[in-house]
Amino acid sequence: MKKSCPFLVLVFFSFFVSYSQSIATSPYSLYGLGSLYEANFGLIPSLGTAGIALPSDNFINNKNAASLVNIPANNFFFEVGGKGIQSSFEDNVKKENRNNFQFSHFAFAFPINSKSAVSVAMMPYSSSSFKISGLKIPILDSSNEYYYLNVMGTGGLNNLDFSYAYKVSSKLSFGLSASVLFGNTTDNRTYEINNSVTTIDKKVSYSGIRPILGSQFKMNESLTFGLNVKSPTRVNASKIQSVSVVNETGTSTLETDKKSDTDDFYLPLEVGVGFNKSFKNKINIAFDYEKRFWDATNQSDLYGNFSDQNKFALGLSYQKSKASRNYFDRIKYATGINYDTGYLEVDNKKIEDKNFSIGVSLPLDHLSSALFVSYTYGQKGQITNSLVQENYHKLTLNLNLDGIWFVKKKLE
Amino acid sequence: MFFGVLMFSCDSDVDAGEFVVGADYLALKNKVISIDTVTINLSTIKLDSLVTSNESRILAGNYDDPLFGKVKANSYFQVSTTSFNLYSENSDTDATGYVFDSIAVILRYDDYYYADTTKVQTLNIHRVTKKFKPNVNDDSFYNNSALDYNDTSLGTITYRPKPIGRDSINVKLDNEFGLELFNKFKNNEITTSSEFTDYLKGFVLTSDSNASGSIVGFNLSSVLRLYYSRGKGGAEDFYTKDFTVLDATKQFNSISSDRAGTLINDLPLSKMSLSSSYTGNTGFIQSGTGIVCRVDFPNIRQLKFLSDKGAIVDAKLIMKPVKNSYSKLFPLPEKLSVYVVDKLNRIKTTLTNSSGESIVATLNNANDEFDENVNYQLSIGSFLQKEMLKESDSKSGLIFTLPSLSKVVDRVALGDQTKKESEMKLQIYYITY
Repeated sequence: MKKSCPFLVLVFFSFFVSYSQSIATSPYSLYGLGSLYEANFGLIPSLGTAGIALPSDNFINNKNAASLVNIPANNFFFEVGGKGIQSSFEDNVKKENRNNFQFSHFAFAFPINSKSAVSVAMMPYSSSSFKISGLKIPILDSSNEYYYLNVMGTGGLNNLDFSYAYKVSSKLSFGLSASVLFGNTTDNRTYEINNSVTTIDKKVSYSGIRPILGSQFKMNESLTFGLNVKSPTRVNASKIQSVSVVNETGTSTLETDKKSDTDDFYLPLEVGVGFNKSFKNKINIAFDYEKRFWDATNQSDLYGNFSDQNKFALGLSYQKSKASRNYFDRIKYATGINYDTGYLEVDNKKIEDKNFSIGVSLPLDHLSSALFVSYTYGQKGQITNSLVQENYHKLTLNLNLDGIWFVKKKLE
Repeated sequence: MFFGVLMFSCDSDVDAGEFVVGADYLALKNKVISIDTVTINLSTIKLDSLVTSNESRILAGNYDDPLFGKVKANSYFQVSTTSFNLYSENSDTDATGYVFDSIAVILRYDDYYYADTTKVQTLNIHRVTKKFKPNVNDDSFYNNSALDYNDTSLGTITYRPKPIGRDSINVKLDNEFGLELFNKFKNNEITTSSEFTDYLKGFVLTSDSNASGSIVGFNLSSVLRLYYSRGKGGAEDFYTKDFTVLDATKQFNSISSDRAGTLINDLPLSKMSLSSSYTGNTGFIQSGTGIVCRVDFPNIRQLKFLSDKGAIVDAKLIMKPVKNSYSKLFPLPEKLSVYVVDKLNRIKTTLTNSSGESIVATLNNANDEFDENVNYQLSIGSFLQKEMLKESDSKSGLIFTLPSLSKVVDRVALGDQTKKESEMKLQIYYITY
């Protein structure tokens, strides 16, 4: 069984890479690297995504690598997650529903010794998936002439995280992650100009590594503070482009799979702080505040107009008794709210996101294996002349499998 | 099982692509620009000569054109026959009983005419005295070719052409000429076609009047007809013998124009062109006489500097006929042919569409009372894109002609970029990528 573990990881990895891009379309995802994707592990989706100060004692907390030191000795956590999203898009004129189910993440983590632990996680970072049909755009310098644009965007970036956590003292721990970003987006456009059709097919490949530093400080048994700092990072971009024109006098190819550099993407400095307070070992309150300094990135216009982003997350959970014999007592109930000012500005309006979530953690054994079920309802953007409001229902299923292999190994 | 569910539900969304946020942003990456300020040079060229033989049309007549001068067409043709005897039901000896009656040329209209057919027109038929042989080393006759002919007219007709209503005109020829020809056959003096064409080399149909009329086309079923009879008194039998245009290569039209007093009086050699700035901001095209327009885009290469990477995706050349230059008498041609030419006006290629067929500039005049939108349009995006990218100095130009270069005399006058009310325009669509 132990030998099959790397193989299983590989299977999941390849499965993941091939499916990570089947992410719901969103008209906003034409900007930047696409819509940023939040993969949240365990119960975090139910807590309004608050988790910087949460421990990793019964699931892998991906919000703060320093939490990995809480994984009990000799345990091996393996987590997979998926999301079902139903979105309705609405603007001044129309409304449209879209459903999508996607593979969200997988990760494993285990302690190396009593002071340190490691984890590997794979998840999407962004999704660029959108479609535009027959958009009428004025021609520059013309008198009342228009062209029509069709765009199909696909692809996105993946995120492979390698984390290491070290316990300095019983109160203080640190975590360090290397977040490897890679992937590509494709953008296929046709321009219908007068009596011609120009096709521009572009594939942009991205790669970058982002260092992340996390820390948790346990004031006392019931209060923990967390800090998470993500370094500003350059994501290298290079594109392959093909351009061809068809008009009344024939077809001409201007570029075929031409490689060139394009403007790199800059990830901002991100600082997150949070606390987690428990009352009587039954009720937990977690709060996160994150700021992302997009203004300082001086992002190329090519990616859109970005500005500083603030995120607030508040989560509340209840569990009657962790060690009860009664199954229902061991179920943890959670709820939370989240407010995100957004970073993207379209027509000088920021794309806000606010949501509410509830969920449960259903224990699967007497270790930490559990199925986490969360439901989130949220709203993104607003209805204006140029913006679209997206209302979404999101069902998240995360499965944490704990310690199975190591326990069996011991029994052998 | 968990993943089974995952995989099942992957592709359930349909996106009609109707939601868009930020059209300005979408227009940012690839800019689409409209350019209508590119310089267009227009000039007029006189082609050396046009082949007019083997076109199967006898063109004759003359008219005065206010823009193109006095236009005249004379037509040369040779007639022959395949049987070298008179009508013989029984035997050759009967020939002695035949009597010459008369001779005429019957010209059958084809459907072509130009200028004012309500005016009386006079045509003369002369006998050609020189062998039908081209001067140059090919077998063709040109619009400026001519053969010697007898000054004395064999026949003349003054008539109002009715090319649509009527079938043909009948030009009675000189009886002396007819009788001589009749006797040659009666006496069996001509027995082969070469003997015949040695004797009767051919005719030329000339238009000698000074009054403006029209030019009319006749087809090659036109004949020389000999009328004769047999018998005396009340019981006569009437016979005819037809001589037809058997060899279309021995039929050609000599088309000339006297442009004295017009803007295009001094057209240079065919390698050169006369800029529209010397000809009333107008370019001239006339078939038959070999006058064509040349259009150049001298600054097109500057568009290369608009962007690092940019392309002309489409371009529309809009050419307007000069106001009041056309009328019912001088109708506009439906189409203009276009050729790509080098500096010396030598034709290099044609412009083609995606299926390789040559494209033409088409007349656009649908229901336009005030003639404001009467124009010829041509798509030249690919041509201009190539010209823009040319590294060498060998700029190409475009030559516009009528679809038929030599068997009609239609004409059109086009305004250049500065011609008031008839400005030539070029609309270029450019994209950066």
